[in-house]
Amino acid sequence: MAITEKTPLELGPGDSARYAERPLGIFTRPQAGRGWRDWLSTVDHKRIGILYGASAMFFFLVGGVEALLIRLQLAAPEGSVLSADVYNQVYTMHGVTMVFLFIMPLAAAFANYFIPLQIGARDVAFPRLNALSYWIWLSGAIFLNTSWIVGGGGADCGWFCYSTNSGVAFSPSHGVDFYAIGLQILGIASLVSSVNLIVTCLNMRAPGMTLMRMPVLTWMLLITQFLLLFALPVITVALFLLMFDRLFDAQFFNPDAGADPLLWQHLFWIFGHPEVYIIILPAFGVVSEVIPTFSRKPLFGYEFMVFSGIAIGFMGWGVWAHHMFVSGMGPISVAAFSLSTMFIAVPTGVKVLNWLATMWGGKLKFTVAMKFAVATVAMFTIGGLSGVTHSVAPADTQQTDTYYIVAHFHYVIFGGGVLGLFAGLYFWWPKVWGHFLNERLGNWNFWIMLVGFNLTFGPMHILGLQGMSRRIDTYARGYGFEFWNMAATVGSFLIALSVLIFMWNVVKSKRDAPHLPPPGPDPWDGRTLEWSIPSPVPVHNFDTVPQVHGRDEWWHTKYAENDEGKVVRVATVEEAAQTGEATDVHLPSPSFWPLAVAVGLPLIGYGLIFNLWLALIGALLTIASLYSWALEPVDDPDAAHDHYDDDHNDDHDDEDHGGEDPDEADASADGADQ
Amino acid sequence: MSRPCLPKATDVRTSTLNRGLAWVLVLLGAVVVTGCATDAELDTFAPQGPIARELHSRGVLPVFWIAAVVMVGITVAMVWLIWRYRVKSYRGDDEWPAQTHGHVPLEVGWTVGFLVTMAAVAAIMLWSLPTVDATEVNKMSVDIEDRSVEWEPTVVVVGNQWWWEFRYYFTDQVDLADLRAHGDAKTLPPADIVTSGQMMVPTGEEVELIVTSRDVIHSFWIPALNGKRDAVPNRFSPWKVEASDPGFYFGQCTEFCGLSHSRMRMQVVALTPAGFQSWVDATTQDAVEPTDPAALAGLEVFSGICTSCHVIEGVNDDVFESADQASGAAPNLTHFANRSTFAGGIFNTYNADGSLNRVQLEAWLRNPGDLKANYTVPGEQYRGMPDLDLSEQQIDDLVAYLAGLGERPADWIIEATQVE
Repeated sequence: MAITEKTPLELGPGDSARYAERPLGIFTRPQAGRGWRDWLSTVDHKRIGILYGASAMFFFLVGGVEALLIRLQLAAPEGSVLSADVYNQVYTMHGVTMVFLFIMPLAAAFANYFIPLQIGARDVAFPRLNALSYWIWLSGAIFLNTSWIVGGGGADCGWFCYSTNSGVAFSPSHGVDFYAIGLQILGIASLVSSVNLIVTCLNMRAPGMTLMRMPVLTWMLLITQFLLLFALPVITVALFLLMFDRLFDAQFFNPDAGADPLLWQHLFWIFGHPEVYIIILPAFGVVSEVIPTFSRKPLFGYEFMVFSGIAIGFMGWGVWAHHMFVSGMGPISVAAFSLSTMFIAVPTGVKVLNWLATMWGGKLKFTVAMKFAVATVAMFTIGGLSGVTHSVAPADTQQTDTYYIVAHFHYVIFGGGVLGLFAGLYFWWPKVWGHFLNERLGNWNFWIMLVGFNLTFGPMHILGLQGMSRRIDTYARGYGFEFWNMAATVGSFLIALSVLIFMWNVVKSKRDAPHLPPPGPDPWDGRTLEWSIPSPVPVHNFDTVPQVHGRDEWWHTKYAENDEGKVVRVATVEEAAQTGEATDVHLPSPSFWPLAVAVGLPLIGYGLIFNLWLALIGALLTIASLYSWALEPVDDPDAAHDHYDDDHNDDHDDEDHGGEDPDEADASADGADQ
Repeated sequence: MSRPCLPKATDVRTSTLNRGLAWVLVLLGAVVVTGCATDAELDTFAPQGPIARELHSRGVLPVFWIAAVVMVGITVAMVWLIWRYRVKSYRGDDEWPAQTHGHVPLEVGWTVGFLVTMAAVAAIMLWSLPTVDATEVNKMSVDIEDRSVEWEPTVVVVGNQWWWEFRYYFTDQVDLADLRAHGDAKTLPPADIVTSGQMMVPTGEEVELIVTSRDVIHSFWIPALNGKRDAVPNRFSPWKVEASDPGFYFGQCTEFCGLSHSRMRMQVVALTPAGFQSWVDATTQDAVEPTDPAALAGLEVFSGICTSCHVIEGVNDDVFESADQASGAAPNLTHFANRSTFAGGIFNTYNADGSLNRVQLEAWLRNPGDLKANYTVPGEQYRGMPDLDLSEQQIDDLVAYLAGLGERPADWIIEATQVE
């Protein structure tokens, strides 16, 4: 197949030029536009962020249905909604879906959308790689879930998939194969994305935006990317070994051939524990933006917040074996990991008190975003403290693998992570879409979710201490588990209701938007650079790349403190905000090749499981697409150096793209090129 | 401190709360009280042996109190901040509070505060770690075949999908080092007693457990007597239990082990030293030879079908490896009727009135897969007991035979087995 373009064709005028013919290419080089096809080829970090977010919310519903099935099954003793086999698949896929297909991509949505905006950049460092990350993630997500249809069911080994139960002898369906390959594909996506965003943070900050002036959300997301960068190779190795065990009769995890099943546990948790911080740090970042904004105060102790985040990132690597206190790894290891686990509570506790100190003396306005943010702090504190109770390894021997642990990590991941990201959704919705989410519905969403969450997971503390094991598909009458299980099931349906209210809010807010005043660039009196540009954000982000003079740059553009320490306004939003009307901004060109590469990977996956010829086709597609990509110029020589705008059709004037030299592009955007 | 319920008394100053909120709290309290079952056999807050008691008082309770104090402190601070500093809306630019950017001494202060708190938690951990890790096994005399041996109370605990095996070595005693050198859980040295589902221990003795598995990872846990220990294939891990009083202590496998993880249970029966001795006397015997015609027919059925997996000493070889099972083993049935539960500790062998639980036993033999999910694809290794297509006559005969295998357990054991 021919894959290069030799000479750019002469373009005709008007719309017919948007998809120019390529004599040698399979695809015409797409240009930025507004149709659905443009979403397939987009390299705009904002659109990719939206794609991540929308897909994550879809899988939130999938994982949520799985959660409801679990709760229905456990509502009463001897439940018969699901068979033991299906229950094991459902609870496994619930965990995998919520971790890999909901909360990680939702955090990735925030990272993609807001890192460039917060650091004053026009895009991420490698826009096409960014698109590749998303499409690979999506193909991995779809691949993983097709195991329900073609794999004989979902994986049935738990998201932790301990050896030896993950072997073919004990899990004969293809579910675990889909798990092993699917997570490898998802890992590629996260790994590519982490490199991209790290380079973005390090290289593409606006002039004056030193590292210690970066907004805390960006800081926490940067730390998250480093965690991903180092954690994913470990799980990939483990999954690779598992895949070879299952598909090609390797013996990495076969105890009869001398293997030690604890190898998998170490590999998994060296990834798995940093994964907890990968989930929680973005939410910490969101909270660190929302609470100051609605307290009308700067974040208390920025340096402590940043360095405690970094400390969590480092210490997160030294605690993994606290998942293995009862595995029989020996008292020295147990004591060491027990100690390291306790001391990771220190930087986390510092964060909580700093948030409280931010609120102290402030003017707290409880918008829905603020409610979610404060609830995040409260719920995470409960989860963190129950974590301290089982950091004491001997005490953990009574608690591990009971519902007490289920309660603990849901308070951390849902109470911390999900509530935090919901705060972010309500906070940045007007920035992304140009209209607010309805606060009234938002209040219903918040209160029902908070009550439902506590009703679901609060009782699990009691169930666990009463001795209810995790991962059981049913329980017998008479152990005292009946009441609180029913309560938890009722709670889970309240959570479902609150999510439906959120969905309805999305629809209703969009519908009501034309009748309401637009939010303008800065609806919350924000502090960081994303609030200095129009809502929704123009495709080129910044008309002129801002010069940064300090932390909370945008706030300091609007306000100053006088000699008495009183805050006085120095500029209105209208005066200071950018208009988004700049033209002649050079932007990276769209490409179909990231999507094409991503399509090849699941084919390799299916091929490895079912028929190696299919893997060959997938591999050829991937390799060919990579070559095509490499040979495709970074900048489309035919593309106009113009931004398109959502408000008018994008009819380029001939002179706009006629003889313009790509090298003359706005120098400040050059970093956005690969 | 017998039930892990929410705190009983909440020190609420009702004067500051409106009446509605107070009612909500009262209702919540009522819900909590009624929701806390008095009958929680696996309750981790009800230790019944010295190890579990020490673990609870040295390890669990102190850290729970520390966490509770910190939580109450943070929650009170947060509620106060919300109440004190909330505003309805911002009225303009003059509404800006003092712009505090931080306070380093304060921040260093609470960093050190957390460090000290965590150092206290660390001390609790180091103080309580020996309660589960150090072993102090005292020898006790056990008469075995008219010969007295000094026995270091040790039980080899072997996990299988989805039942536990307990092996007692009196004549050729094994220790952890021996078994680690041996390295293979599927070919353990022959034991004097091999039983399943229920582990008998003498009261007042610390009993060392050597925990391993033949197939996947399981976890052995009797909450009233100690925390849990994973059973990892071909790894031999030390653990221990001790019961102060004769009693019946429930357990549940706590590491996910596949299809019937939820139906993998076990019990520890603590007997007085004399009671333990008579149990040893009874269970070191070969199986009772049946006399009545139905039981004889049952033996016939057993020898023809069941022996491909199960062992009954005196009927088939006691060093037996079943090729049909993934674990290579199935429960040893020599003293089946001596145990008050069967099928991996999930069904009662006897009714509350002491009669044989014939209905359950027949149902199990008729179609085990219906009662306990299994994996029995012909041509592949079984996990769990397969459906054997037995005729009703065969089932009746087998029940007659099994019911005669060993002495009926004491009435108090049968009574304690009933969970409701």
